[in-house]
Amino acid sequence: MNLRDHQRAFVAALSSGGLPDGVDARGMAVYANNYRSQLMACLRDTFEKTVLWLGDDVFDAVAARYVERHPPSSWTLDAYGDLFVQHLEATYPIDDEVAELAWLDWHLRRAFSGPDAKAIDVGDLTADDWDRIELEFVPTLRFRLMRSNAVAIWRAIADGVTPPAPVAVEQGIGARVWRQGLSPRFASMTADETACLDLALTGASFGELCEYLARTHDPERTTRIAGGCLGAWTAEGMIRKLSKGAPL
Amino acid sequence: MSHPSPTPFHGFGLGLRIPHYTDFLETPQPVDFVEVISENFMVDGGRPLDVLTRVRERYPVALHGVSMNIGSSDGVDRGYLRQLRALADRVEPLWVSDHLCWTGVDGFNSHDLLPLPYTDEVIRLVAANVHAVQDALGRALVLENPSTYLAFPEAGMSEASFLAELCERTGCHLLLDVNNIYVSATNHGFDADDWLERLPLDRVRQVHLAGHSQGRDMLVDTHDSPVPDPVWALYSRFVERLGDVAVMIERDDHIPPLPELLAEVAHARDLADAVRRRAA
Repeated sequence: MNLRDHQRAFVAALSSGGLPDGVDARGMAVYANNYRSQLMACLRDTFEKTVLWLGDDVFDAVAARYVERHPPSSWTLDAYGDLFVQHLEATYPIDDEVAELAWLDWHLRRAFSGPDAKAIDVGDLTADDWDRIELEFVPTLRFRLMRSNAVAIWRAIADGVTPPAPVAVEQGIGARVWRQGLSPRFASMTADETACLDLALTGASFGELCEYLARTHDPERTTRIAGGCLGAWTAEGMIRKLSKGAPL
Repeated sequence: MSHPSPTPFHGFGLGLRIPHYTDFLETPQPVDFVEVISENFMVDGGRPLDVLTRVRERYPVALHGVSMNIGSSDGVDRGYLRQLRALADRVEPLWVSDHLCWTGVDGFNSHDLLPLPYTDEVIRLVAANVHAVQDALGRALVLENPSTYLAFPEAGMSEASFLAELCERTGCHLLLDVNNIYVSATNHGFDADDWLERLPLDRVRQVHLAGHSQGRDMLVDTHDSPVPDPVWALYSRFVERLGDVAVMIERDDHIPPLPELLAEVAHARDLADAVRRRAA
């Protein structure tokens, strides 16, 4: 048998628990155990708060099914959990908080070693035509529409206090994850902020954000919400650059 | 000291792990160098690279990888090599090492150090991969002997002979893991001292010292406990033959407070000093 065939047979045995021809079962058992335990440990480490929410036994059972269905392909273990949120969504179609906790775990971990970017500060918020200003965000920023109070649950677990019971939240509410300096951060967002961030990330100008808000709010409230978003995003290190887009 | 080292002596070091970052950044520690797991720093940015940059300002750094996949019939991933080269350019390491093993094939990655059959076909392939790596990195590769739990009947040569031949064909260097030799020798029933005799000792750049566990049927290289007495004994015998080669304590799991590991570093230094005094 040439090396490629040998290695293919070994891989098939590793992931299936089988035994290639002529191979000592005792030694193969060590490799099979190393393979599985390494991946399980990786998932437990990456999805730390999800483990605490589900409990060790339940998490291990869910993670074991993920390991069976998703053999790793990247050279870095950091990438291994990239489909785990979807795996949890399929496993817990009613308990939205489970996958949403995992989403927070995953993106906080990704933000930890994501690309660097220097954020602007409040003093940099100067422009002569705010309607045309487009916002460029730090590259670690991610957001998601939330169905549950997973942000509050995650925060309570992190603080070591009893987490609230899972409840459904108002439609349109979101959560964002990013890195401020060297520290991964997360926050919940109102439906208005979530919609504005969604628009801004797709290239909408500040004027277009205001136009969107003006459809449902009076001018004073529109100004207050838009200014509040801009101020919070800047103060929290989410914006890397202001640029001037095409005229409205 | 029958084999004086042809390269500068880099002393006694420790594998840098997350629980000890603050210790290393805030207080000078009695180590001559640190070794880091390359893949943990082959990232885009954030705290890992910030820490590594600041540690590098204080200590020489060796890069030690686990995912090069040097023995894969796929060849070595070019993207991986580009990222490793970028890290090496940034860190200017003492050397770049990885393991004589394979980790995956056909796009699958086991994230484990899998065993190779030591055949003529395999040495041709691994030598070609080492050449490709050395061209990409612009430096000689340092390869470590892994712990193994399987031997293959078709193997025509021993691991030590395979490593010696690989050095001859590629000019690569060696990282001698004394614990791995002990584990493999115990699991496969060969003599560790004979194993060392087959190596070109002038190619050894670094020594690893670590602990292992007793598995159900064999010893397992778990790096989760202090260096045990049989490994210290083997190290003492090897030091006599190796001369002044960099030595490092490696702990990857159940990581204790830093002073416990520094005591092991000091013990490695003391044993080497004792050998040196006897030889003087």
